[in-house]
Amino acid sequence: MDNYRIVVADSGSTSRKQICNILAQKGYKIYEATDGSGVLRIARKILPHLVLIDVNIWGINAYELGRIIEGDGISTVVFITGNPDKSFYEILGNMSIFAYITKPVNAIHLHQIIEFALANLKKITMLEAKVKKLEKTLSARKKVDKAKGILMKKMNLSEEEAYQYLRKKSMDECTTIEKIAENII
Amino acid sequence: MKKNYSKEELLKHAEELGVEFIHLQFTDIMGVMKNVSITIEELGKALDNEIMFDGSSIDGFVRIEESDMYLRPDLSTFTVFPWSGQVKEARLVCDVYRPDGTPFDGCPRNALKKVLKEAEEMGYIMNVGPECEFFLFNTNEKGEPTLETHDNAGYFDLAPIDLGGNARIDMVATLKQMGFNIEASHHEVAQGQHEIDFQYADALKTADNIMTFKMAVRIIAQRHGLHATFMPKPKFGINGSGMHVNMSLATLEGKNAFYDENDPMKLSETAYYYLAGVLKHAKSFAAITNPTINSYKRLVPGYEAPVLIAWSASNRSPLIRIPAKRGNSTRVELRNPDPSANPYLALAAVLKAGLDGIKNKLTPPPAVNSNVYHMSEEEMKEKGIVGLPGNLYEAVQELEKDEVVKEALGKHISNKFVDAALYEWKEYSKYVTQWELDRYLRKF
Repeated sequence: MDNYRIVVADSGSTSRKQICNILAQKGYKIYEATDGSGVLRIARKILPHLVLIDVNIWGINAYELGRIIEGDGISTVVFITGNPDKSFYEILGNMSIFAYITKPVNAIHLHQIIEFALANLKKITMLEAKVKKLEKTLSARKKVDKAKGILMKKMNLSEEEAYQYLRKKSMDECTTIEKIAENII
Repeated sequence: MKKNYSKEELLKHAEELGVEFIHLQFTDIMGVMKNVSITIEELGKALDNEIMFDGSSIDGFVRIEESDMYLRPDLSTFTVFPWSGQVKEARLVCDVYRPDGTPFDGCPRNALKKVLKEAEEMGYIMNVGPECEFFLFNTNEKGEPTLETHDNAGYFDLAPIDLGGNARIDMVATLKQMGFNIEASHHEVAQGQHEIDFQYADALKTADNIMTFKMAVRIIAQRHGLHATFMPKPKFGINGSGMHVNMSLATLEGKNAFYDENDPMKLSETAYYYLAGVLKHAKSFAAITNPTINSYKRLVPGYEAPVLIAWSASNRSPLIRIPAKRGNSTRVELRNPDPSANPYLALAAVLKAGLDGIKNKLTPPPAVNSNVYHMSEEEMKEKGIVGLPGNLYEAVQELEKDEVVKEALGKHISNKFVDAALYEWKEYSKYVTQWELDRYLRKF
């Protein structure tokens, strides 16, 4: 429960209130939105952990909302639908988490899906951070290799000497080896 | 983005980028952007100038000719929309041509090109740097725009996050991705109001940029749950939104033609002639730079908007201001245009006025150095200072009297423009406003 922030976006006040009540009782911090633009405003303000969007929400198309919220890195979206059909599953395939809430809402299922989504979210966030770090390291290494190649050719150095050149320069100029490599390239 | 692609290079580039849809854009007489959307498979056809559409849509609301028109893309304007996500979309700005291969004279972009050609024949290139203001408002539960900038959600524990400011930062980043050189961006005086200035470029590019800018601002505002409006005066009592136009002429070699280090104000003869021309025709081109009923609600004293036709180097309130920078940055700032104007027509009209000043070696009136708003009626009469038109109807009457400005638009556009403006005025005149009810319902 840990103070997870969840936005419930549903234009229908009865179902919206119902979902809010169930989740609030479980200890989540709940925020409401009644239309597409409202969801975007509140999500960008509070950066919630999850945004639950009813597929029939007023204003901006629910799937477009999902794309904007996940595309801009604001939060993770879970759709609420009364009719999960083939096209719905296709759209889900492009979202972060392949989970959805069905209407009419069942309190136990709702709770399970939220917990499932939050747990997966944690895993995905960790993996994404790891991948980002690895990508960065790899790109830096590529640049260093390229710079070494240039130095070896232009200044007739061996690989070891080229690397030492880069290393010394980075220490002298108090910057990363990657930056020096970039300048050389 | 603004490279000189050949047709083959562009086709290859678009395919490499994975572009699936291309929007062929043009602007109608009222300044509204129109699109003909095609798929990547049809791009070759478009680049061969073979895409057609129904010409009456460019005439705004008046349906007279049901003629086929052709779109001729300007390849240098190819830009991918950064917000398009997985299905990539791009655009090409187009000129409208008749089936016989002649430029359609109802196309505002063609009108501007004509006046630019005239300038070129006189040895000048026009450079423009616009300062565009706009409001960002919330929408209500029905998705309709309001005049509110705060949500009444009642969540007191929320830290004050500046939604509008964040949206503006996103806008600047997106515009930069699209190839814009953004000079500055900031919050403006009024609640919910913002300004974005882009760098000087030639007039045609700038007019294209202004249309692109408005499109991008609207789309990104929507992505932030906000509504962007370029309406000149949405709220009584606070500042309105203007579109100040910084402009200068350069020689064909690229040297600023407004600078002369030997003049006391360091302005060249050309600059003075241009200035005189613009002042002379200001009353007439107001209908084009301020084309809506609401435009004239902004041109009132007390809100930094110009009211009188005067120029100054020191003052901030007149119609034309001479910013301090000289050398290659010498320019004049025209302060009455507002963002509801059609940028192609506005620049065509203003340039034509300036060229008229140069052709006839006109002398500008003396500069005004005291606060123009604080002048008495006698002082104004003495100095020969007149006001801008007070409403759209007056503005159109002034436009109709001025052959020079009408020539800048061409006969087709000036007739359609006047018809549209008069229709607007007639509709407005019939309407009973809240102001009248508040004032007269009980009194009489």
